[in-house]
Formats: sequence, structure tokens, C-alpha cells
Amino acid sequence: MKKENKFKLSLQAILTDLLFWIYIFGCVSFLINHWFEKPIPSSFVVIFGVAVGLISFILGLSVARKVFLPTIRTAKKWYKSFWGWSVFLILLITFVVGWNLVEVDLYKLFTKFQNAGGIMSGIFNPNMDILIICLTALAETIYLALLATVFAIPLAFILSFFAARNLMPRTFLGNTVYIIVRTIATVFRSIEAIVWAIIFSVWVGIGPFAGMLALMIHSIASLTKLYSEQIENIDPGPVEAIKATGASTLQIWIFGVVPQIISPYLAFTIYRWDINVRMATIVGFVGGGGIGLLLLQQQQLLRWQNVGIIIWLIAAVVWIMDMVSAKVREKLQEM
Amino acid sequence: MKSMIELKNLHKVYATGTHALKGIDLEVNEGEFCILLGLSGSGKSTLLRCLNRLIEPTSGDIIIDGMDVVAAKGKKLRHIRRKIAMIFQQFNLIKNLSSLTNVLTGKLGYSSLVHSLTFSQHKDDVKTALENLRRVGLKEFAEKKTRNLSGGQQQRVAIARALMQNPKVILADEPVASLDPATADSVMRYLGELNKSDKMTVICSLHFLSLARKYGTRVVALKDGKIVFDGTPKEIDEKKFKEIYGEDAEEVEIR
Ligand SMILES: Nc1ncnc2c1ncn2[C@@H]1O[C@H](COP(=O)(O)OP(=O)(O)OP(=O)(O)O)[C@@H](O)[C@H]1O
Ligand SMILES: [Mg+2]
Repeated sequence: MKKENKFKLSLQAILTDLLFWIYIFGCVSFLINHWFEKPIPSSFVVIFGVAVGLISFILGLSVARKVFLPTIRTAKKWYKSFWGWSVFLILLITFVVGWNLVEVDLYKLFTKFQNAGGIMSGIFNPNMDILIICLTALAETIYLALLATVFAIPLAFILSFFAARNLMPRTFLGNTVYIIVRTIATVFRSIEAIVWAIIFSVWVGIGPFAGMLALMIHSIASLTKLYSEQIENIDPGPVEAIKATGASTLQIWIFGVVPQIISPYLAFTIYRWDINVRMATIVGFVGGGGIGLLLLQQQQLLRWQNVGIIIWLIAAVVWIMDMVSAKVREKLQEM
Repeated sequence: MKSMIELKNLHKVYATGTHALKGIDLEVNEGEFCILLGLSGSGKSTLLRCLNRLIEPTSGDIIIDGMDVVAAKGKKLRHIRRKIAMIFQQFNLIKNLSSLTNVLTGKLGYSSLVHSLTFSQHKDDVKTALENLRRVGLKEFAEKKTRNLSGGQQQRVAIARALMQNPKVILADEPVASLDPATADSVMRYLGELNKSDKMTVICSLHFLSLARKYGTRVVALKDGKIVFDGTPKEIDEKKFKEIYGEDAEEVEIR
């Protein structure tokens, strides 16, 4: 092993051990506060964590030693499995803290069913009178998902070429473009569509247009990523062959790259529309219009029979979309 | 005789540090059928790919048909490339396009973007492409997707694509290495014919001495990035063979 490499590994190991034990003591202090209402100062947590972490690392007993520096001889005898016990401890304590944070209450789950009686009976007695209104809202949802997908396709298609490592030359310009497109796509994708919907419902007002914009942004980002990964997986042979004929860069892309990606692109796009229809419902909840917004309103008015019909309609659409998109993708595979 | 290809002190060092070509000096005349021999890793593919700049040579000169290949950039480089066709071991066709479209891509170097997007509308291009397919005996396969063709047929489509370029030079990198002996011979025969009747200069790397003897007018052997033999196929006796392939090698004949 190289020297600096070992130094780096040791540093990672020490930091891991310190965080490991600070976390354990942090959990312990939370539980003490939760059960006995005795607040523990955070300085205590840090001091104890650092102390135990350091000692176990120096003695060669720690988890991080086992993970990062397995070649280093660890101590023998009973305490040699100390790392195993600490892993057990951290899992146990995480579970206990989780149980308390989430307020798991099995008693409520098994005894308070009658509270859900209203919604349950609503589901089984849906109000057919508002069917037309619901279908209108549903159409809004489906069309907004469709438009979001259709608008996203050309942009993502073009961007994906600039986000594909194998197409961008390793020059300063090529690297810069690649990194910028990649980073923007990653950042935009990591922001949930629901957050975009909140932003756009303020920007253009509550309604399907806000939902469409939210889904579009999210679709562009995630299709760019999926598409560009597809480009990175193409067979480089034909691209090289087209290049060798004296073709220009654009011709190389159109004749060497596009034919290889067109059918996976279609599959991804249909899959995306499928996802967008589902998300359009959720996005509606926060101001994106469509059936989601209607569902939210009826739920707040406690009109359970209206909620019932909406739930049935959403389920039907999701089911049909799922089936259609699976079928189409299957057909594309055969192409 | 006119010199077609001229290499002077050509070096290639890969980013990994591999010194794949160590000062290649070579002159190939118009109309020669030059076979490249050498063990795996000796630098045959690297040399062929330097000739049309699919790989950037590290230093040295490449002159093809009087044009400076190393100095060429952009449009100039593309104009040089269209005169140098390349045939690959893996055929490198676009598998989900028809044979005809694949052959038409050979014309890309001569076409504007708009022209190339409407290839199928240009009667003369299609006619030339069909004529080239007929030359390699595949006229009735024009509309077939190349995915459904056999290896030998795919390589013939690739030859038709090369013909589309109307090239002066054909570079072939192990064109028959993934074919059975009989098919290999028929593909080599097409290359031989282009060399003889169309006066195209061919540089072709091979692994089989029998094919080299049958089709080559000249053999150049590489070892560790250097030329270790340059002569006629007849001159390769057992001693020369061992020099090229190492002491333990035995000549295995296929055919
Ligand atoms: N892209 C690359 N990056 C780094 N090294 C490479 C690359 N391509 C080839 N090499 C190295 O350069 C040397 C020559 O390789 P080359 O492919 O030219 O040999 P070859 O004679 O064509 O062999 P084969 O008969 O197996 O095709 C080898 O050592 C190889 O490992
Ligand atoms: Mg090779």
C-alpha cells in the first residue's frame, strides 16, 4: 500500500469512528431526554463520543479499523469482537430511536379502525353524480402529464448529447459543457416535482399550468440523465466507422448515434409519461390543478363519497397507463 | 511508381503510457496490397487508426496521396478521410438500419447535412449504392436490416460502404478475423479485386499467413511497435516467421 494512501485511509477510519460514537451517544441522550426528561448538554455527547471513538481506534478494536484497514492486526481474545458488538449496538439504538420518533402506536392501529369508517364507506359508495366533473379534472391531469412529457422530449434529447461522456471531447470546452449540463440535470432532478409545483404555483398561479411546468422541468432533468446514459452505452464501433467516412460531427451524431438510441429513447419516454401521470396527481395536491387538487378539496370538506369516486378513477388510470406502457415497451424491445 | 502513403518516424504513446508505435518509417506505393502482420498488441490497429486520425499520433509525419494528414484540421481532415475507407473486424454497421442506408453513409463525407438527411430522395446516390451492393453480391439484401445478415454478408456491406467513398486507400483492420475460413477467403477476394481492378491501395492487418501469401503483394510485420520485417510474402520462411511471432510459434495453416 502506498504511504499517502494509507494516511488517507487512516484519516477516513478515525473520522468514521468518531462520527460512529458521537451518533451513538447522541441517540442515547435523545432517549434519556425523551423518557426521563433530563436534557443532556451536547458537549457531553461530543466528549464521550470522541473519547470512546478514539480509544477503540487506538486499541484497534473499532469498526472502521475492520472496514478501512483490515490488514492491520487487531487484538485477540474476547474483546476482539468489540466491533461486532458496536455494530449491534448502533443498529439496536437506531431502531429504538426510530420507533420513538415515528410515534409507532400499535394500540391505535388495531383499535381505532372506526375512525376510517367514513372514507371506507365513501370508497364503496362513490358519488356517481360528480362523475363528469371528476372526468374533466382527470383529463386535465392526463393532458398536463402528456404536455409535460412532449415538451421535455426535444430539450432532453438535445441536452443528452452534451451530457454524454463519450461524445464530449476531452478538451477544456468539451469538459466544461459536459460538467455544466450534468450538474444542472442532477440538481434539477434531485428537486422533487412537488417542490417545483409549489414554486410554479406561486409563479404562474394555482392550476394545471403550474403542474405542467413542474413535471416538465423534472422530466427534462431525468430524461437527460436516462438518455445520456443510453448514449454512453452505445456500440462505439459504428460511430468510429461513420467518423472514418469523413462525416461531420453532426452527421456522426445523426447517423452513428441516433439509430442506436432511438428505440430505448422511446421506451424511456413512454415510461416517463406513465410516471408523469402518477406524479400529476400528487402535484395537483400542492397547487398543480387537475384531479389531485379536486381530491384535496373534497378531502378537506370531508365529502367521503366524492373522495371515493376520485380514488377509483385515479386507480383506473394508473392501472391502464401501467398496462399500456408495459405493452408498448415490450413491442419496442422486439423492434 | 507513385508513392501513396508515407510515414516518417511515427510514434504513438497512449495516455496510459503504453508506447504502441516506436518510430515507424514506411512507404507504400499506389496499387500495393500491403499485409500487416504481428502478434496481438504489436500495434497493428494503432498504426491503421493513426493513418486516418481516428487516433492522434504523438509525433511523426503521415503523408497520404500528397496530403499532410497530421496537420489537417476540420474540413480538411474530413476531406482526407473520405479518400481513405476503413474496414473493421466487427463490421461496425448500424445494425437496425438497412444495408442500403448503411452503404449510403459512405457518402457522408461528400454530402452537406441537408443532403445526407434526404439521401433516399437522391436517385444518383441510391443508384451508386445499389450498384456497390451488387458488386459485393448483395443487391437483393438492400432493404434488409444488417442485424439479420451473416458475418460475411455484413462485411460485404461494409465493403460496399467503403466503395461509396470512392477511396484511394482502404485500411482493413483484421477484416476476416471473426469469419470462418471459407467466408474469410471470399471477403478477401473482394478486397483483392478492388485492389486490382480499381487500383485501390490496401493496407490490411491479418493473422493468417496463408491469406497474406494469397492476396498480399507486400508484407510488413510489426513487433512491439517497430517494423521487424518488410518484404514480399514469399520471403517469409520459417526463420522470418519465428522472428515475427517469437521462437515458440508454429505456423498453423487454415484453409
Ligand atoms: N485506447 C488505448 N489506450 C491505451 N493503450 C492502448 C489503447 N489501444 C491499444 N493500446 C495498447 O497499445 C498496444 C498496441 O495495441 P494494438 O491494438 O494496436 O495492437 P494490435 O496489433 O492491433 O493487436 P490485436 O492483434 O490484438 O488487435 C497494446 O499494448 C495495447 O494494450
Ligand atoms: Mg487490433
